[in-house]
Amino acid sequence: MTEFYRSYLAVAVLILAAIGMVGFMLGLGRLIRPVRAQEQKYIPYEAGSDPTGTFGQSNVRYYVFALLFVIFDVEAVFIFPWAVNLESLGWFGLVEMTIFVVVLTLGLVYAWRKGVLRWA
Amino acid sequence: MWEQQVAFWVIAVAMAGAAIGVVRANNVVHAALFLIVVFAGSAAQYILLLAEFVAWVQVLIYIGAIIVLFLFGVMLTRAPMREERGKLDNSQRLASAVVALFLFGVLAVFLIDAFGGTELRFRDSMVEVGSAASVGDSIFRQFVIPFEVVSMLLLAALVGAVALARRD
Amino acid sequence: MGTPYFDYHALAPVIVLAAVALLALVVDFVWKDGGRRAVPQIAGIGMLLALIPVFTLAADGETRVMFGGAFVVDNYALAFAGFFLIVGYVAVLLSYDYIDEGDYYRGEYYVLLLTSVLGMVVLASARDLITIFVAIETVTLPTFVLAGWRKHDIRSNEAAIKYFIIGVLSSAVMLYGMSLIFGLSNSTLLSEIGSVAGGDNPALFAVAIFLTLAGFAFKVSAVPFHFWAPDTYQGAPLPVTAFLSVASKAAGFVAMLSVVALGFFASPNSWQPVIWVLAAASIVVGNLAALRQTDVVRMLAYSSVAQGGFILVPLAVSGDNDAARAGFQGVLVYILIYAAMNMGAFACVIANARRTRSTEIQSFSGLGRSNPAMAVVFTVFLFSLAGIPPFAGWFAKFVMFRAVLDAGTTAAVVLGVLAAVFSVVAFFYYGTVIRRMWFHAAVDLGDTGSPRVPGALVAAMAITTTVVVVIGVYPQLFAKIGDLAFRAT
Repeated sequence: MTEFYRSYLAVAVLILAAIGMVGFMLGLGRLIRPVRAQEQKYIPYEAGSDPTGTFGQSNVRYYVFALLFVIFDVEAVFIFPWAVNLESLGWFGLVEMTIFVVVLTLGLVYAWRKGVLRWA
Repeated sequence: MWEQQVAFWVIAVAMAGAAIGVVRANNVVHAALFLIVVFAGSAAQYILLLAEFVAWVQVLIYIGAIIVLFLFGVMLTRAPMREERGKLDNSQRLASAVVALFLFGVLAVFLIDAFGGTELRFRDSMVEVGSAASVGDSIFRQFVIPFEVVSMLLLAALVGAVALARRD
Repeated sequence: MGTPYFDYHALAPVIVLAAVALLALVVDFVWKDGGRRAVPQIAGIGMLLALIPVFTLAADGETRVMFGGAFVVDNYALAFAGFFLIVGYVAVLLSYDYIDEGDYYRGEYYVLLLTSVLGMVVLASARDLITIFVAIETVTLPTFVLAGWRKHDIRSNEAAIKYFIIGVLSSAVMLYGMSLIFGLSNSTLLSEIGSVAGGDNPALFAVAIFLTLAGFAFKVSAVPFHFWAPDTYQGAPLPVTAFLSVASKAAGFVAMLSVVALGFFASPNSWQPVIWVLAAASIVVGNLAALRQTDVVRMLAYSSVAQGGFILVPLAVSGDNDAARAGFQGVLVYILIYAAMNMGAFACVIANARRTRSTEIQSFSGLGRSNPAMAVVFTVFLFSLAGIPPFAGWFAKFVMFRAVLDAGTTAAVVLGVLAAVFSVVAFFYYGTVIRRMWFHAAVDLGDTGSPRVPGALVAAMAITTTVVVVIGVYPQLFAKIGDLAFRAT
């Protein structure tokens, strides 16, 4: 086995341990807790008030926030490979990344100026 | 390399099971959660193929951002949260099953024909190829034009989404 | 490793267009109302500005290669870049009053239009799969939003959703094919894909080519991947429909032409039958379905499916080295001519829809009496689409049939006969509209709009009519462009 796989084996073991621990605790709880079925116990807890059955349809404006998050997440992903090559890419890389970031920032400014970033 | 084989099959079976879960779930939120398992599985497969950077991009973008977008999208709809059988299905199950099986068969036959019996032997020296440094080298030297065009593409996506979501 | 070689002159059209798109966005959000009025002008002038470096590069005539062959500026790329910019300019002219008068966002509309054209200009030079894919996505993504621009109209929403779902699906199929090609060739460069030609796995290479071409077939709405087109064309705002049916369709053909001519050419058995079937099916289904339409936009949608089939004919017969040149030139010339006549036809439809608030074919009744100038112009475009001399359409059909004769194989001749038969069928549905205009009395449609044809539309009609008439009587001009574009290959 290569060194690379060995280092990721640790990650795999950790993930399996986490899953195992959750399973163990839930399983143990199931074994030792008393089970008395009552209708009310199966209603989701919503801060004391009775749930209405389905969730309310949320406003489309919030979607813009999710999309902004995705776009800047993608930007961040491009920054990693640029950062590790920063020295060898030099000024050329800096200009490239600046253009990329400025273009996306213009999008953010646009969204802000159009007032879609206001919650109320 | 039997460890690699075992790991591949464990992950592949988990992914296939979760993928079936995505289309079988009657609750769209459950479908999105199953999708996380599929994405995580493909990230693990990338690790097995020594594509370390791509694997973490998969985690960051897909599990991190795309699922968030999914859940926001789900909340925009009036999809049923409780189990209401049949509502997410349409009448084309048979046709889609035939098409899916046909496509699977064709691709399986040709892929096995082309790559069956080929053995991949990974060495530590190959890890370098999948690293952030070498991916960055390709993006910022070879694929400069697509990289900058992607920024315009993302900008257009943002502008379009804002235009559709605005109410004034 | 130093910094990659950059030829700013060669990149100038792309840079100018990107800068203009960003400028339009900034102007829109900085000066709220005054800016919005300036944005259409900025977009129009920007397209023309980007055209200047295209001409200087063409005058220079040198082939410029960048990034190890991934981005090439040669005559082929310049011909299409210039073409896309002019089509983009005409699209701005078509949009000007339509977007101004409706309840639409102006700034964003032009930003998205410019971004889409930017993708097309990049596509013209793209010579590797990654660049082609990113360019194609940049072409289509803004048009998904533009198709749904009439937010409060359920038809427009339907148009956008259908187009979006089909478009994304086709991208996924195309990307899967491309990834297989990369796996087989170990390169994304078209030139290297061509020299490897699948290596030891021609069968899988054929599957990969099939998937990639299927993705492009969605973009050009070739039968059987055309189902989205009529609904999307009908629901989208009319200028967007014109843009979709000309520019975005042409982008699909350019991508197809690039990958076939430069990448897959060496394995004709893999791509030729696929394109043959697409061409034949598009010609038959497009023409027959167009016969039955009562709405002029749906009719033009099916007619554009059929014209797409005609465009594919030269490509479908260009499989061997002798026929290749004539075939590729045929595709290029047909695209240029199709763009002019279809764009012009949509200009007339938009003008008529302003007058009658309708796109039904019967709304054209009596146009010959009420507005003879426009009726003449529309008749010219319909004659040209039908391929009747002396308008440019005949030359497009001519280069198509010449490519068929050059190839001379049985498959080519069968396709040629099919094209000939259905060119005649096309007379009927184009003729219906012409008859309505000249030989029917006007139908009272109640609510009528303004009979005045605005200046921007007149300009768009003037440009397209000029092209259609000039190329009709002096076709050597486009033939020369086609000749130059493929001189190197």
